[in-house]
Amino acid sequence: MPVTFLIPGPLREFTAGRSAVTIEQSPATLAEALSALWKLYPGLCDRIVTEQGQMREHINIFIGDEDVRYTGGLTSRVAAGSDISIVPAISGG
Amino acid sequence: MIGQVLGHCRVQAKIGEGGMGVVYRAYDEVLQRDVAVKVVKKDARLGSSGSQDLLQEARASSSLSHPNICTIHDVGETEGELYIVMELVEGKSLHEMSRDAGLPPETVIRCGVQIAGALVRAHDRGIIHRDLKTSNIVVTSGGLVKVLDFGLAKQVGVSERDASFEGPTRTLETMQTSSTFSGTLAYMPPEVLRGETADYRSDLWALGVVLYEAASGRRPFEGRTGFELSSAIMREMPKPLGHPVPPGLWAIIQRCLSKEPAQRYQRAGEVLAALEAIQGAAVFAAAPSAERSEPQTMAHHSVRHARVRRGDFLLLVGTTKGAFILRSNVNRSRWEVGGPYFHGQAVYALAYDNRADQHRIWASTASFWGTMLRSSDDFGRVWTNPQEAAIRFPADTGLSLKNIWQISLGRADEPNTLYCGVEPAALFDTHDDGETWSLVRGLFDHPHRPRWVPGNGGLALHTIVLDPADRQRMYVAISAGGVYRTNDGGNTWSAQNRGIRAMFLPMKYPEFGQCVHKIAMHPARPQRLFLQNHWGIYRSDDSSENWKDVANGVPSDFGFAMVMHPRNPDCVYIVPVESDQFRCSCDGRLRVFRTRNSGVSWEPLARGLPQKQAYETVLRDAMTVDSLDPAGIYFGTRSGQLFSSRDEGKTWNKILEGLPAIVCLRSALIEDGFGHSIATPRQAPQPPPSSRSKSRTASQSRRQSHQKKR
Repeated sequence: MPVTFLIPGPLREFTAGRSAVTIEQSPATLAEALSALWKLYPGLCDRIVTEQGQMREHINIFIGDEDVRYTGGLTSRVAAGSDISIVPAISGG
Repeated sequence: MIGQVLGHCRVQAKIGEGGMGVVYRAYDEVLQRDVAVKVVKKDARLGSSGSQDLLQEARASSSLSHPNICTIHDVGETEGELYIVMELVEGKSLHEMSRDAGLPPETVIRCGVQIAGALVRAHDRGIIHRDLKTSNIVVTSGGLVKVLDFGLAKQVGVSERDASFEGPTRTLETMQTSSTFSGTLAYMPPEVLRGETADYRSDLWALGVVLYEAASGRRPFEGRTGFELSSAIMREMPKPLGHPVPPGLWAIIQRCLSKEPAQRYQRAGEVLAALEAIQGAAVFAAAPSAERSEPQTMAHHSVRHARVRRGDFLLLVGTTKGAFILRSNVNRSRWEVGGPYFHGQAVYALAYDNRADQHRIWASTASFWGTMLRSSDDFGRVWTNPQEAAIRFPADTGLSLKNIWQISLGRADEPNTLYCGVEPAALFDTHDDGETWSLVRGLFDHPHRPRWVPGNGGLALHTIVLDPADRQRMYVAISAGGVYRTNDGGNTWSAQNRGIRAMFLPMKYPEFGQCVHKIAMHPARPQRLFLQNHWGIYRSDDSSENWKDVANGVPSDFGFAMVMHPRNPDCVYIVPVESDQFRCSCDGRLRVFRTRNSGVSWEPLARGLPQKQAYETVLRDAMTVDSLDPAGIYFGTRSGQLFSSRDEGKTWNKILEGLPAIVCLRSALIEDGFGHSIATPRQAPQPPPSSRSKSRTASQSRRQSHQKKR
């Protein structure tokens, strides 16, 4: 069952303006889901993870309501039909 | 035709064919650049007088110099072959880009602004395009729009009365799909179909069709036959464009598509202003509730663009929340402010690169979304936004890029070379105009590197100085690692810190580990360097082998910024701050200090600067000079004030206040291309670049690589 990424405004430049992107495959983990997302919209990759493949420090990803930092990061399981939100953190000055 | 020489262009390969003729890639052997050559078809429609008319028209169009107009370099006739030599533009046509579902409104507006800008220039010169359509508009991978074939349709095409089913400059694409209805008729305004003469407003109708098509992927008027299409153009109203096209954009398109020319915009400048207004107030329609029902927020971005012309003088201002481009003339007294660019992103490095037939501004941007190297060839109207970060640490390093602190141009005769100093401390270089960047391993693998420690701003390589006399020699400054020098083009590096104190270490004169804030060199005397340290002002007269403290008479030897006078190699400017603990101007008095004797003595320069309760900080790259005479000196403060002196520091004026914290300042004098412009974007002034032959296409290929997908 597909999962859907919710894309924040600053990144829609790289998704042809789309605020939601559905991945038709059934990814088992967040890493697999992101990998499918990069294939569709390659410009998102370097904005969300570093060149070493780590989530950027001030970017939060939620699967449903769960912050993946507390559920295994990129190895977090993705339930079928999940919404995955990409959200900039509330830090900064 | 392949291999033939037309004029001084050797034809290399066919790259397209249209109703007007065949287009070839060619190489201009005199000017040594890639070009496109359009060989005009020997067509019954083009008699001998027509040939002359075409040549005349092409010559007129060649006078159009505008970043959004494909430049016509030359026209000629050889053995009966009429040909037009033009700029080689590589990219996708707007038709290709928008034909699926249309483009996001932001992109449509951004393209529309550029197309309208091109029309303004052409109309000002009395040239009507007459064949504006999405297949005549090419968008480079960097987002730069180029309008092709200005003014040529009149001579080559059928007369307006003919209203041919196919347009005068059919592209391969339209030819291939000629069984369906496509071509120029779809862009013709009602008055032309009625047999009236085309005027400027006909181009504005076509612009309306182009914008409609770009926004929706379909044309406003359709028909299975020429008759049906003509009829639709004459009588029907276009289907309204709803979400995601914002109402403001739809209103502009509607006005362009008024059946009566008098009801349209009357000048391209009016369309441009309207598009810029909605671009400035880029408040886009919220997604319809059917898509997502979460609460919406609204962002209001207001961006102004400075209108830069030849002869202008620019200040490029990087702040912690975006960049600004300030425009003036050589008097440097009144300023027009462009920006903010990169809303909310920190811009720690800027550079102006005029080393080829270009006026390129480089910028680094850092935000939650990573650090990117970006560039603009039109003074900020369009910036590249690469899909993939150009500068990235290789996997084996385990490091990730945090910030780009310095963008430094290579030597004048190496127009494809640039350097970036980054955090975590490392040097990257490119020798193909930014197409590929490499970590300079010689420095990265230095045994000292694991023992470098971060300063307050992180562990950063923030300064790059090239020796103009010895092309194998360069210097970098690292906080906190010290000065390193290579004498072999970057393969090996040595610490060059003898005599420089490290007040924060038990050993006061270590081999390395000093927190150097800035180094500066005058190109006329490359063996002498000046250095602003984390405590201490130094000079070396032997290419950094030994350093001597020259803080003679300054109120504090702590500071960040340091710049050289553009002509006097004994003259240096600094802005001391009180101490490590209190990094603000001494005694609440904002004063620049200058030496004109290489540090033997320093004099305060304060006239016009605030002398009471002015607790300001000038950061390491927030100071620059220009190349004019008398020299201009500029600095920005952490509190967002920007000051200038037009008389080498004697008197100062505040240019602007209220900016975000200023972290980078560069100046540029905009002259025509081909390398004889003057620019002072670097820390130390450089000799004027010599003329060079790099073609624009090289930079375009670089831009494509910026957009290259992984």
